Amino acid sequence: MTKAPYARISVDTFDSADPEVWGKVRTAFAEALGREEDEVELQHKIIEELDAESLDFLDIAFRLERAFDIKIPRGGIENTAKAGMGDEVYEIDGVLTDAAITRLREAMPEVDPAEFPAGLRVTEVAELFRVATFYNLVVHLLNEKAA
Amino acid sequence: MPARFLFLVHALSPVHRRFIGLRRADPAITLGLRDGTDPYRAIGRICRLRLGAVAAGEVWGVPLDPAQMIEDQERALVRLERAARLAMLEQPVAAIGLGSLAAVVGGRGEALQERLSVPVTTGAAATTWALWKNTVRVLERRPDATAAVIGAAGPVGRAVAELLAADGYRVRVDAKRAAKGLDVEAADGPEAAAKGCAVVVGAATTGGLLPPQALASGAVVVDVALPSILTGPAPAGVRMLAGEAVSCPPSWDPGLWGRAYQVLAGYGPQQVYACLIEPLVLAVEGRGAPYALGRKLEAATVRHFAAQAEALGFQPRLAAGWWAASI
Repeated sequence: MTKAPYARISVDTFDSADPEVWGKVRTAFAEALGREEDEVELQHKIIEELDAESLDFLDIAFRLERAFDIKIPRGGIENTAKAGMGDEVYEIDGVLTDAAITRLREAMPEVDPAEFPAGLRVTEVAELFRVATFYNLVVHLLNEKAA
Repeated sequence: MPARFLFLVHALSPVHRRFIGLRRADPAITLGLRDGTDPYRAIGRICRLRLGAVAAGEVWGVPLDPAQMIEDQERALVRLERAARLAMLEQPVAAIGLGSLAAVVGGRGEALQERLSVPVTTGAAATTWALWKNTVRVLERRPDATAAVIGAAGPVGRAVAELLAADGYRVRVDAKRAAKGLDVEAADGPEAAAKGCAVVVGAATTGGLLPPQALASGAVVVDVALPSILTGPAPAGVRMLAGEAVSCPPSWDPGLWGRAYQVLAGYGPQQVYACLIEPLVLAVEGRGAPYALGRKLEAATVRHFAAQAEALGFQPRLAAGWWAASI
């Protein structure tokens, strides 16, 4: 992995994924979820389309950490969103604020912005995660590591 | 010579960590002055277990709590590997079992198995056996009921759905993928699966999948999820039963520390959780391969395990909390 910096992919640029990074991400997902590699695509919703349960996210994270020699922080996506919010409130009684939804849209370019409706609950964010969400997280951490 | 086995656990809570510190005579851990992440503190034997002259085992613990196990899986693996190697220096074993999150980190036991030459088994076969048999006991009293399996996309859920369907019961699963190749109904999500069902099977590991209001009045929930398959308290009229409880034969002897561990781990004085006996059964059978590792869990393997465990005198036990329950 010497090609950093890598570009994140968005909902319009799934085809631009780095083949080497994507190959390892795909293998990690396939092994963790007990699927064939060709059953895993970047745009797949991890819970709804790949039937992942909560513990599978731990397994996926572990396999990605080993494959790329990185450390994936817990709550990485949420922390990224919160990091850009300054003093603004992230959630009220479990419901994301408008500011939080704006930040999440920026932090998760691989998800169609229309999938972040007003009133989205914190617990529902994971249901939006795509395989590409983890691809982008890995790319972010590889770029950090190379910097 | 009894067959020897090892069971690896971690601190289930800060209170449990203090118990491990007390057992290991480590004042800093016992008094809460250390957080359990020091690599050389309080890793060691918690108790000895014995099944007559047939099997002898030890429970070894690491003082990492659930959050610490998850936040750095490599660290957790290194601690578990050290515990296993230290235990095996004292006494070779034929099988190693994993408790709680020890069975989850590192690819559900696969990474630990890569580092050890002794079969490592996660407990999923035993959990499925207990959940399957306990659910059958409920369904025998409600033969017209449909059993809704929540968490059917996971290894335990998929296997228990297959076993119940093969026994001739009507089964509905909460994920289309889980129904593939099985004679079961598929529903779109936990709420749809549970709708109208008199028996609900909580087969997910971490729970929190099913809103209580989705349950039919008078439903029975047989649950192995921790803390619970429900997202809130069970409504009045709904019975919650522990799906993983197992009763032990008279020759089972956990000793003083074993009894204390059983109570602190939530088993109560009269029962154990199924996963604890999986390495025991594996060691007695002398089989060189685990019953369950990673996501791999076959219904045929669960049947095989069931025959082995029941021949040793272990039986799934319908329980509510610590105590036996009747339907």
